Amino acid sequence: MSPGSRPWSGVQRSMSNWAKIRVATVFLLPAVLSVILLRLWPALLAIHTSLLAPRAISYSLENYIYIFTDPVFLNSVRVTLVFALIVNPLQVAIALGLAILMNNKLPMTGLWRSAVLLPVAIPQSVSAVIWAAAYRPDGLFNSLLQAVGIGPQRFVTSPDQALASIILVVSWIGVGYWMTMLMAGLQDIPKSLYEAATIDGANAWQRFRYVTLPQLRRPLTFVLVADTVANFLVFAPVSILTKGGPQGSTDLIMNQIYTNAFVNGDPGSAAAATVVLILLVLAIVLVQFRLMSDRSER
Amino acid sequence: MMENTTPRKALQMVVIAAVALMFLLPLYWLTISSLRPEEDIFRYLNPFGLWTVVPNRITFDNIVNLWSGAFSRAIVNSLVVSFVTVIVGLAVCAPAAFALAVISFPGRGIIFSAMIVSFLIPFDAIAVPLYSIMRGLNLQDTYVGLILPGVGNGLAVFLLRQFFQSIPKDLREAAMVDGMGWFQIFWRIYLPLSKPALISAGLIMFIFQWQAYLWPLLIAPSNDMKVAAVALAQFSTAYNVSFGLIFAGAMFLSLIPMLIFVCFQQYFTGSVAATGSKE
Amino acid sequence: MLMKNSGLLAGVAAVFLMSTAGAVWAEQVTINFLTAEADGGFDAAIDQFEKDNPNIKVNFETVPFDSMVPTIEARIGAHDSSIDVFLVDTPRVSAMANSGYLLKINEEKDAVKGVANEAGLSVLMYGGDLYALPLWTSTQMMYYNKNLFDKAGVPYPSSEEMKRMTYEETIELAKKVMAGSGAKYGFSLEQIDRYYQLQPIFEGNGGGSGLKDDGNLTPDVSNAKWVEAGKFYASLFEKGLAPRGIASDQMPSTFTNGDTVFYVSGPWRLQPFTETEGLHFGVAPVPYWAGGKPQTPTGSWAVSLNPYAAHLEEAKKFAEYITLNAKGVGLVLQGIPNIPVNKDAYGPYVDWLASQNPQIAGDIKKVMTYELANTAVPRPSSIGYVAFETVMNKAFSDIRNGAEVEATLQQAQQQLESQMRRIK
Repeated sequence: MSPGSRPWSGVQRSMSNWAKIRVATVFLLPAVLSVILLRLWPALLAIHTSLLAPRAISYSLENYIYIFTDPVFLNSVRVTLVFALIVNPLQVAIALGLAILMNNKLPMTGLWRSAVLLPVAIPQSVSAVIWAAAYRPDGLFNSLLQAVGIGPQRFVTSPDQALASIILVVSWIGVGYWMTMLMAGLQDIPKSLYEAATIDGANAWQRFRYVTLPQLRRPLTFVLVADTVANFLVFAPVSILTKGGPQGSTDLIMNQIYTNAFVNGDPGSAAAATVVLILLVLAIVLVQFRLMSDRSER
Repeated sequence: MMENTTPRKALQMVVIAAVALMFLLPLYWLTISSLRPEEDIFRYLNPFGLWTVVPNRITFDNIVNLWSGAFSRAIVNSLVVSFVTVIVGLAVCAPAAFALAVISFPGRGIIFSAMIVSFLIPFDAIAVPLYSIMRGLNLQDTYVGLILPGVGNGLAVFLLRQFFQSIPKDLREAAMVDGMGWFQIFWRIYLPLSKPALISAGLIMFIFQWQAYLWPLLIAPSNDMKVAAVALAQFSTAYNVSFGLIFAGAMFLSLIPMLIFVCFQQYFTGSVAATGSKE
Repeated sequence: MLMKNSGLLAGVAAVFLMSTAGAVWAEQVTINFLTAEADGGFDAAIDQFEKDNPNIKVNFETVPFDSMVPTIEARIGAHDSSIDVFLVDTPRVSAMANSGYLLKINEEKDAVKGVANEAGLSVLMYGGDLYALPLWTSTQMMYYNKNLFDKAGVPYPSSEEMKRMTYEETIELAKKVMAGSGAKYGFSLEQIDRYYQLQPIFEGNGGGSGLKDDGNLTPDVSNAKWVEAGKFYASLFEKGLAPRGIASDQMPSTFTNGDTVFYVSGPWRLQPFTETEGLHFGVAPVPYWAGGKPQTPTGSWAVSLNPYAAHLEEAKKFAEYITLNAKGVGLVLQGIPNIPVNKDAYGPYVDWLASQNPQIAGDIKKVMTYELANTAVPRPSSIGYVAFETVMNKAFSDIRNGAEVEATLQQAQQQLESQMRRIK
């Protein structure tokens, strides 16, 4: 719609910038203050730490040089990128599929929807133990595979299967959560659009492609960005199931950060790795915003 | 597709139930494991048989011991922290999201970017600097210290902003012509139209606190202030891991939010759809 | 009237005076004691200590085992005064002392020498100074499943020190019992990919502890002896003698399920194994390398003081009570029956422990006492120990999962060299 055609569209424009800033400040102040104090300020302290080499009192890039010449850290960057490249599209697609499936009004839908959400409420450390019992060589999965005549698999003990095993665990934890956010988006799509499309003879796929997807753009942007961020910060399942192994095949950057900060007592390189991770995620998120933005909006 | 509604519905029902059961299986395993004596928990994994899925010896020791210890107090703490975080958090985040979505003030892009950056920061990585800040404010072993980091949630602001943007501009412009102020527009139009989004934002903040581990460990070390995730982890000491207790605890920790969410399902329907148009 | 009033006044004054005196008398200090033990573990000792010292109250705080290090790094690193006294894992004493997390307590040296032996004292020192008081230690023994031996018709191994088996003999016997009983695994260790339990296999082969030279800051983990030991370790999994893919915390189930012939673990497993229905087991000394020197792991938690503590005097009094005072040590053992370092407490402790399992009481006592006195070798003392352990545990885990031994150890060596350069 073109804004100029309506008589009242000038209301907001007629407000002075100062009036808008005043109103916005009232609405934003608590959130902005808490984000600055509780997130951005400590993050600045982390940047400060990242610039201090061990036992040094003046700033230098030594910690960054150290991590970028450390084959272990470089490997973790590579693993993290591969992991992100697979897990994000996979989870968003499954979450979207589940959301559309669960959006049907059927008996006990509330219960089924909540069931899918359940794994996100289990402490991740416990989820990892449950999966460890399933992945054990003599565990549940292999006994099930054996029962149907398939040979035993190595799962988390094999450098070829470990990352896939981790992806399965984090997806099982996360998809219900993202499904819920997308379902909230589905609620907002006007029924009339589907009716109109049906009258025009659109089939199920066409209705999805030309009604659901465009209408879901904003929630989908949220889920894509938030899920990407969440997956870059995955830590507990890796630390419990594989500790980054075998042979570094599941060594995500977060695992490196945690190990350096809290096990090895090397806060400098942990902080440097944190800064690198944040920049990496920021770059990816910016690309996602570009891809998902509505061209007519810009 | 309209003509064979009943078989189609039945098929959907079966698929939905099957998917949901896949997600429920671990809860089932937690439950049967917490009913077994400790040495039976990992005994019947292989080969697959009746005793893999049904406990052959049943004990309620784990559940009784769980609730007679510090865990019950910790569950109460977790519930208090999570609920207060959701309520205060929504009061903080929803207005912010509203301002970012509908008021076109100068500097909006910068503030929105700050919100996005705030949730990119791995919270565990800044827990230590944050701890030195909060300890200076005398917030150790207080609910305020536990709740505060969950309140300003950039992710929730982002989510709500996305949903608020979808609410038709016509609605607020009509309201302005009627003489409504920004606050009234927010309170009487945007909030009532965004129940599913508010529930989702609440869910984000609830889960943030429910799963929180490292932060509560540092800021609330006394026994009276422990949260459930920490109390649960404590069943593994240097020389022994009490899986029966851990699984029993995890069973309750997952059931409670699930029941809460079931209760909120009735509000999980949109009303924007009724307005007919959408941005 | 006047009399009455003044009497009342005097009475009020007296009450006032008494209450002030009382307040001075009962001015209580609360000290915070941070541990990674289960709730109630120290109750008996704390109760008695509070009775003996009515002006001190001990607040027992506990964090999950895996979170003890992050907690200390974060809280004491931020100069938190609300921890007074805490438990510290002995191999971390050097690094923590170096970071300034532990208070120097040289004035206690003589007292510690009175209760602990040389090895027990050495793990509490860093750079010639004392930083911790000795609480517990540990040892390992080789549990074996008697049911499996009976089923295979093979006689039980001996617990006599003189008849300690070599690794080769142990493996051979394990294979025989596996063949005869259908057991899944022959020989495995509880902390199956951690340095603590693997040190005897690697260092015991004559290739050194993995760290050498001044301050133990030079890694040496890819020499011929280490590779040889690594190949033996790898063969355990290649030949199916020990399981892959089971984490340490789930390993005990392989023994209680009756799947494993020989299982190396600490005395802390005696109670759960004894309580497992239908499990009959014995204990023997851990194996050694033919031609090598027998060696067992050791070390556990000690007690340290926070340099920034709010109530140092009282905290020190409590730390002394639970480590140096025989009565205090005994009361701690009532709650947490780990092996005490305190010589006076050891005798009654081991008698009690052995009596819990009467059939093998003699063996338990003999094996434990001998190993603690003769074969215990602590983990290398180094400010780089923790980083060393992290890298090595990963390397062990990779070897366990089938990575090539020599390449893995060389990679670990390179990684350690670059990390140690940062620490030096």
